[in-house]
Order: sequence, then C-alpha cells, then structure tokens
Amino acid sequence: MTRDEIISKLRDIMKESTEKPVDWSTVSGESTIESLGFDSLSILDLIYDIQQEFDAEFDAEQLVSIQTVGELAEFLSSQLA
Amino acid sequence: MKNRRRVVVTGLGVVSPIGLTPSALWDSISSGRTGIAALRAFDLTDYRVKIGAEVDNLQLEKAAQEIGLRLSDRTMDLAVIAARSALTDAGHDLASASYSGMDMPVIFGSASGSQHSLYDCNTRFAEKGVRGLRPTSVPRCMANAISARISLRFGLRGANYVVASACTSSTNAMGIAFRMIRDGYADRVLCGGSDATFDPFVYGGWNNLGVMSKNPDPLTACRPFDAHRDGCVLGEAAGALVLEAGDVASARSASIHAEVLGYGESSDAAHITRPSADGQAAAIQNALDDAGIDAGDVGYINAHGTATEANDECESAAIRKAFGSAADKTPVSSLKSYLGHTLGASGAVESVATILALRHGLAPANLNLSTPDPACNINLVDSEGVAIQGSIAMKNSFGFGGGNGVLVLCGVRA
Repeated sequence: MTRDEIISKLRDIMKESTEKPVDWSTVSGESTIESLGFDSLSILDLIYDIQQEFDAEFDAEQLVSIQTVGELAEFLSSQLA
Repeated sequence: MKNRRRVVVTGLGVVSPIGLTPSALWDSISSGRTGIAALRAFDLTDYRVKIGAEVDNLQLEKAAQEIGLRLSDRTMDLAVIAARSALTDAGHDLASASYSGMDMPVIFGSASGSQHSLYDCNTRFAEKGVRGLRPTSVPRCMANAISARISLRFGLRGANYVVASACTSSTNAMGIAFRMIRDGYADRVLCGGSDATFDPFVYGGWNNLGVMSKNPDPLTACRPFDAHRDGCVLGEAAGALVLEAGDVASARSASIHAEVLGYGESSDAAHITRPSADGQAAAIQNALDDAGIDAGDVGYINAHGTATEANDECESAAIRKAFGSAADKTPVSSLKSYLGHTLGASGAVESVATILALRHGLAPANLNLSTPDPACNINLVDSEGVAIQGSIAMKNSFGFGGGNGVLVLCGVRA
C-alpha cells in the first residue's frame, strides 16, 4: 500500500470518528491530527479503528510522538511492511 | 423547608415513531395513527415478535444532520436530538455565537442505557477477546452516558445523572427535576428519557420474556384495556422537557406549556415483574397529596397502559382504589398503541403528549379498544377521544422492579 493510499484510507477512518466538521479535501500529510478534532481520549478510538481497518496490532504508546497525518501514515507503512 | 416555588414547563422535545416534533406527535395521536409496523432494525428471523415502533431512519438522519450530530449510539442520538429540541423550544439559541452554556442540571431516565454500544462491545469481545474492546468502551457504555453527553454537548452545568427504574425512569427523572426547582436547588432543569430497544440482544431478552403480544398484525396487536389484549409491543423514543421556576420563566417572558403540580412515587416491594395495585395506588395518592388536589379535580389520566394482561387490570384497580367514585368520570387512555412501549422514555414522551392533550382539551382515543375488559373498571376513552374537563391531568408510570412514579400536570389551553 502506498503512502497516498494509506493517507486516503486514514482520511476515511477519521471522517467516521471525529465530531468536528472538517473540510476533508484540504487534509494532507501535513495536517495535524489534533486539528481534525482528536483529543487524548478520542485518539485512542482512532488508533483502535486504524488497527481494525489495517488489521495491524501495535501499542498505542508507540504513537505518542506522532503529530501529523503524514507521520501516522509512515508509521503504519513501517508496521504493514 | 424552603419556600416552594411554582414549576412550569417551558420546553418540549420528542423523537418518536410517530413524529420528531411535538406537533407531529400530536397530529398522529389526534388522527389515530400508530407507529407500530414490521421491525426493520435487524434480522428477526429467529424472533417470535417481529413488530414494533421504530423511529424513521431518514427523519432521524435529517434531524442529526441539522444539528451537526454524527450518529453513534442510538439511545444517545435520540436523547441528544430531543434535548436540543426542548432547549430550543424553551427559547435558548444554542447556535448563537454568544451562547456559552447554562446553569442547568440534566436528569435523564433510561431502562437500558447505551445498549447499542454495549452490544457492539459484547460482539467484538466475543470475536477477539479483550483486544477487541474499544479503548473508549467505558465512556460509551457507562450508565450515565446519556446525561453526560447532553451536558457536554450543550454546555449544561449543574447536576448530570441518569435515573434507572425500568419503565418509570423518565417519570422519576421529571419528578426529581420538579423537586429540585420547587425546593430551590435549581432554576431550571433539562429532564427526560431515552430508550432505543431494538438491538438483537436486549430485544431478544424481551422476545423471550413472554410479555409481548403474539398478534403479528401491527395495526391491532397493541390493545390497552381491551378484553382481547395479549401483551405489549415495544417502541423506541426519547422525550425531553425543560422545567423552570415559574418566576424565572415569567421574568424572561418565556412561553409556558404547562405547570407541574405534583409528583408521587412508591415501590411495590412485592415482585420483580408483577405489578401491585397497592403500590401503584400509593404513588397515585402521593401525587394527588403533593399537588394538593382531590381525585375529582383530575380531568384526564394518561395511563401506563402497556396492554399486558397484568398491567392494565392492576392499573385499573389502582386508579379505582385511589380515585374511588371519581374514577367513574375521569377519562383514562393509554398511548402505547400509538408509540409502542418506549420503556424508560415512555414517561417523558407521554408527558409531552399529555401536555398537548391538555392544550387541545382532548383525551386521546384508546386505539384498538373494541371490547373493554370488564376487569378494568374505570372510565376508558373510546375510539373517538373525549373532551377533557378542566385543565389537570395525571401521568402514570410503573416499572419492573416495582418502582412507580406519577405526575400531576396542569395544562394551558390553546
């Protein structure tokens, strides 16, 4: 799966789990996850949804330093490799 | 004791199988339209009872979209939309840029709480064990999730909790709200109830309990007080009301829908599911005493009237016991044949309908009452409805576990 494919899939998952109205056409690898309406609690659900969708298992703690959608995509890419 | 304040109703909101606004609800009731139909929520192949009263999904999605609500747990979705409607109806402009929340407790009732979230968690747990559980399972499924979500979404500061007493839940919630204001602990309270009972697990429990009608015809299955009734039919709904101190409502020139005159409660302490006429009559008497009125002052009784054999006969005996000869003239009807039994939401939704009945001076018809049960020796409204004398009505709610709650409401004529 390419980085763009991962970002596209991430966008779909995030759309389903944020309460915040977001213009998704403007969301890119540089967008911060916080700007898309995720806080320290809801990001746990987001990670859960990502794990289910990508069928990957990893510790949420591994994602502590991740800030942007692009960083998340790269992390997932390394997990899926 | 502090000085008792008048308590008025300034906001009404409903999400029901027969309408998502109070006026749509009343239109359906006054034209004798039921919300009971073939169930569509999930595959009912293995279920004995395949009918119920569901909220229309298209209307629900539209209502959610209008307020920017992403649908999640159905019980909470219904509650949030009803709450928002009641707050707006009470004159609070939640969309205004200057809105920054209010001091307003949120007291909601529910029989089963966020059962769809629980079902989802249980299903995932069964599939994958503990690793299948969402990290947010606790805040999604906790028993107070409904009031918490409403408080959070609308910035309502004050007490926030959920009352659980089965089918009496939202009547208890309204009674608590009434006392909070009357006794000076709050100026206004958002109260109500919500239950979205149609998931394969909770509804399966009801399916197996044996209290639901075996009649497969949605139009005639639910027959409160009829000699040929054979059980209840379930429904899903949420109802919300803003109760407010009379002086506070007058000071802001709020429209007043009704006044809450009194509230009574009791527990049967007899059987977990079988009702007791003594227990129910005690709650009715407590409500009359609390309101400071005589039974003869009540112009309409909106019954619990579930259409189970046990409830309707027992409730009739309880009314007869508390009302004495006044029961000969006070018209009684049940809305379960329109709404289905909406469990913990029924008290709130049916209170909204009762307030509308007082506004229009019309006691709604008992749908499907073709042969009144002689064991129900009370003045049952026929299929035409009947004019309400005076402006006072009583709302009864009785629940599994033996908890009984009764409200006395005074309406405002249109």
